[in-house]
Amino acid sequence: MKRRDLILATALSSLVPTTGFTAAAGAGSVVGIVGQCLVQRDGRPTPLKLGDAVAVSDTIDVPVAGKLKLRMSDGSVISLAPGTRMTVAAYQTDPAGQRQNAQLSLSQGLIRAVVAPVDHPTIFEVSTAVGTAAVRSTDWFMESKPGSAQVGVLSGNVVLRSGATGREVAIPARWGARLEAGRDPVEARVWAPQEFQAVISRTDVP
Amino acid sequence: MVRVAGAILGLAVALGCHDAALAYTASGDRNFPATLVLPQLAPGDQTYLNYSMLPQSSHGAGTATRSTNFSAVYGKSITDNFGIFLEETYTGIGIEGGGTQWGWQNLDGSLRYLAVNNLDHEFILSLGLDRETGGTGAARVGASPSGATTPQLYLAKGLGDLDIGYLRPLAITTYSGMTIADKAPRPDVLNTGVTVEYSLPYLESKVESLDLPDVVRKLTPMTEVLITSPVGRSYGSRTTVLIAPGVSYAGEGWEFAVEALVPATSATGSGVGVTAQLHLALDFLFADTPLGRPIFASQ
Repeated sequence: MKRRDLILATALSSLVPTTGFTAAAGAGSVVGIVGQCLVQRDGRPTPLKLGDAVAVSDTIDVPVAGKLKLRMSDGSVISLAPGTRMTVAAYQTDPAGQRQNAQLSLSQGLIRAVVAPVDHPTIFEVSTAVGTAAVRSTDWFMESKPGSAQVGVLSGNVVLRSGATGREVAIPARWGARLEAGRDPVEARVWAPQEFQAVISRTDVP
Repeated sequence: MVRVAGAILGLAVALGCHDAALAYTASGDRNFPATLVLPQLAPGDQTYLNYSMLPQSSHGAGTATRSTNFSAVYGKSITDNFGIFLEETYTGIGIEGGGTQWGWQNLDGSLRYLAVNNLDHEFILSLGLDRETGGTGAARVGASPSGATTPQLYLAKGLGDLDIGYLRPLAITTYSGMTIADKAPRPDVLNTGVTVEYSLPYLESKVESLDLPDVVRKLTPMTEVLITSPVGRSYGSRTTVLIAPGVSYAGEGWEFAVEALVPATSATGSGVGVTAQLHLALDFLFADTPLGRPIFASQ
């Protein structure tokens, strides 16, 4: 994705009225689960099971022995690796199911996001403590660790932006990049096959 | 005449016939920028254009006063670790009292295999096999009627895994190759080289975020050294030592680099020259197309 497209998408998304769009109720649902995954809703942990809905403001905890797969309201699929904690900060779709705004907060762990394409400018954004990654449609991974984050892209393009310096790096298919707290993103590079294989296997939900 | 031909051949080896270079190579968080004088480290989908000019010591009428090279290289990865490269160079030899003679160098192709890529230690070992096809270039610019084969060894090490503070952006690469001629009177030549580089992008992203201007943040100052020495019968060829200090600027999917060419022996040249290179990373710019992917990609 071109950077100007991202800026345009960000600008347009801020103009989109929130009324008339599906929000909290239909953020997504559980389509695959291994182990006892929990959703924190209204401060209470509740075990998740296949078919359960996931709403905006929900925080999802995947135990070390668990895995979780969500199908979001726009058709995007998010797989959470063991030991992942993620919050659905915002997820808006229009009546046709087209994504308007999607923002996830990844506190720790690894996710794989197969982001559904849409026919208008919009963004799909994942934030970590050290930076943010934004896409339009792609198949990609993001991992959050204490003090760092990394992104790997299987298809499409991702822009990884440092929360501290504001500087970005574009990451095309087969490439990846890391980001350390308080610094610029590391230069993107071609990921080795074993690097992709590692994140694929960690997020592969049967 | 043999001596003049030997000098031109040595010059061509030093400048115009550097082996097919590849896309810049990464190991872990370390990017090794594309080099201008030495071959690159590993296979990749890329193309680049290189210009170089080096003054020569004229020994009177009919001898070379200047060498100019325009090179084009295309690299294609076959698998994630293996690729091929094609290179062609157009050379101009300024002749004392005789204008400039232009012509093609021999067609050059090579194979490259990335054998070791240790991400944690920013270490790369790769192997190459270069083949120069004799008789495909113009003898007037030093292209030999004899072909040559060069087995190659490449090593690269970033120092980012060491606890050395602001020296962590340093990296060293080495190149060794033995050019074995098909037939006399072309000499066999031992090629050795080293690059020392200091990556400001690495400094900003891995060591400390300094408030440097945008253009500076993407620079990698580096110095390359290339030594070529005839082995066995020299046929008039002599040792060349070329030192090339310069800087590389990294854009998104491209690099532009400029280096001075400082000859350290009289056989290499007689004054300071220059080389410049525009490098396009096809695997970045066309990542989702066959142009930017290995023919047999694992992902």
